[in-house]
Amino acid sequence: MTGPILSLRGITKSYAQGTAFDRLFGRDKRFVALAGISLEIARSDVVGIVGESGSGKSTLANISVGLTRPTSGEVLLDGEPLSALMRDHGGPWRRRIQMAFQDSSSALNPRKSVSRCLTETLALRGVPKPEREAEALAMLALVGLGAELAPRLPHELSGGQRQRVGLARALAMKPDILIADEPVSSLDVSLQAQVINLLSRLTRELGLTLLFISHDLALVRTLCSRIIVMRKGEIVEQGPCLDVLDRPTHPYTQLLIAAVPKGIKGRRQQAATVDIASPISPARESAG
Amino acid sequence: MRGLSSTLRMIDWTGWLGAGIVLVMVCAAIFAPLIAPYDPVALSIEDRLLAPDMAHWLGTDQAGRDVLSRVIFGARASLAVGIGAVVIGALIGVSAGLFAAYKGGLGDQIVMRIVDGVASIPLLVWAIAIVGILGVGPVRVGPLLLPNEIKIVLLVGVLFSPVFARVTYAVASRVVGADYVRARWLQGATHWDIVSGDILPNCLSPIIVQGTLLVAIGIVVEASVSFVGLGVQPPQASWGSMLSDARSAIYSGEWWLPVFPGLAISITVIGFNLLGDAVRELFDPRSEARTLVA
Repeated sequence: MTGPILSLRGITKSYAQGTAFDRLFGRDKRFVALAGISLEIARSDVVGIVGESGSGKSTLANISVGLTRPTSGEVLLDGEPLSALMRDHGGPWRRRIQMAFQDSSSALNPRKSVSRCLTETLALRGVPKPEREAEALAMLALVGLGAELAPRLPHELSGGQRQRVGLARALAMKPDILIADEPVSSLDVSLQAQVINLLSRLTRELGLTLLFISHDLALVRTLCSRIIVMRKGEIVEQGPCLDVLDRPTHPYTQLLIAAVPKGIKGRRQQAATVDIASPISPARESAG
Repeated sequence: MRGLSSTLRMIDWTGWLGAGIVLVMVCAAIFAPLIAPYDPVALSIEDRLLAPDMAHWLGTDQAGRDVLSRVIFGARASLAVGIGAVVIGALIGVSAGLFAAYKGGLGDQIVMRIVDGVASIPLLVWAIAIVGILGVGPVRVGPLLLPNEIKIVLLVGVLFSPVFARVTYAVASRVVGADYVRARWLQGATHWDIVSGDILPNCLSPIIVQGTLLVAIGIVVEASVSFVGLGVQPPQASWGSMLSDARSAIYSGEWWLPVFPGLAISITVIGFNLLGDAVRELFDPRSEARTLVA
């Protein structure tokens, strides 16, 4: 397949605002979350989507995986419309696109052990029962977690560990494309670096297509090859990551870059780039 | 998971008291024929209206029946109706609440407005009215012949269901939006697997608390319905009908006739309430709210 793995065509999303009374008299307004987004993601590309809170980044992510229905427009997965694929709820196409969530505290069912969480995912992928346990441990190892975590419940894990289990769960479906909605914003800086390094390694090793949603320009710079800048539901600028960040043409992008405090920016970049080996080296494992 | 011993240590003495009372009452109901010293329906004219003594610990009634034996057998009717109604109510209410919370949109609105409608029915008045209309005899529903007790269990169960529906709905609508539910959906898990495996288990604690507290109300409803003669039919023993029979004894000095079935009702109700509170504390130590029903 040579076409884009994921393409969005004229996606809009708006929500009704105001009371029923307003609507009755035609005084309601619609809040526009996305105002006609079109974009294409090439296979094995690592794309960052940045923008301030409320710019529609998460809505875009939810629409791309089918969690939210767009008001108009179409999502194409390998050229097939998502709306048609979704009629086959548990179909094999589910393997192609998966999502990693922002909040590590609600990403895992509090009553399911890590191993159960992964094995039931593997069951849905069609892995035969006897192989599931071993495969689950392999998924844990992939995200740099040891087998001793398998019997634990989510509250017995640290935030970073939970986030990586969530990632392992998404990866257990063997997706072609992973949409990561602010996967590190709830983590502290050193854990952020671990997860970013992990994602970077996975994209290199598995050829995973990654759509990385973040408001953190330094992280996007480290990880992504392309960047899309969003503002108020529109794409204001896109292109190769370094080009856009070093030579922003749109005033909003310039504003975003200028808004990053210099000192913090430097430190973040350091944290994210220096410890490339840290997520997989057990010596640096942060527990508890 | 908390260890079992540290979990048990969180229960204070009132909780243990409640659990003890409930345990005693449940044992009394199950093993009534073994425990009761006399046949609860055996008439004995020469033994009528005996005050409590060594032979009849709680005395005898107007027909010479042993009050202790009747109180023990009365636990069966009370607990059967209380627990049966809670089970029926939970089945209906939890399903409705889960459906509404998971489905959302119009289905949610329709189900929860029906729930509001049922909840607006005053429990006791309707229980008495409907049994009054249908009569106390068995009612034929299709191929099934429903004895009066089953009728009351079903009726009270239906009237309990809004409480379960609302509790379930309140918790489930939060759980439905959790990322782990969305992740399961993205993996292509069936709706049934998501609801039964991910949503319901995370809603169970308030449902169990509510169920324990509602058993107490079910017991009061059974006693009330039997008191007005629409519940358990004579000569079978029920705390409510024993109280009703004892009305004439109140002014003639046979105090043991109303006091013991009355105490049985009060103690059992208190037992379930204490147990319910303890279970609530166990699941959520921060919870201060008391749920009032009926």
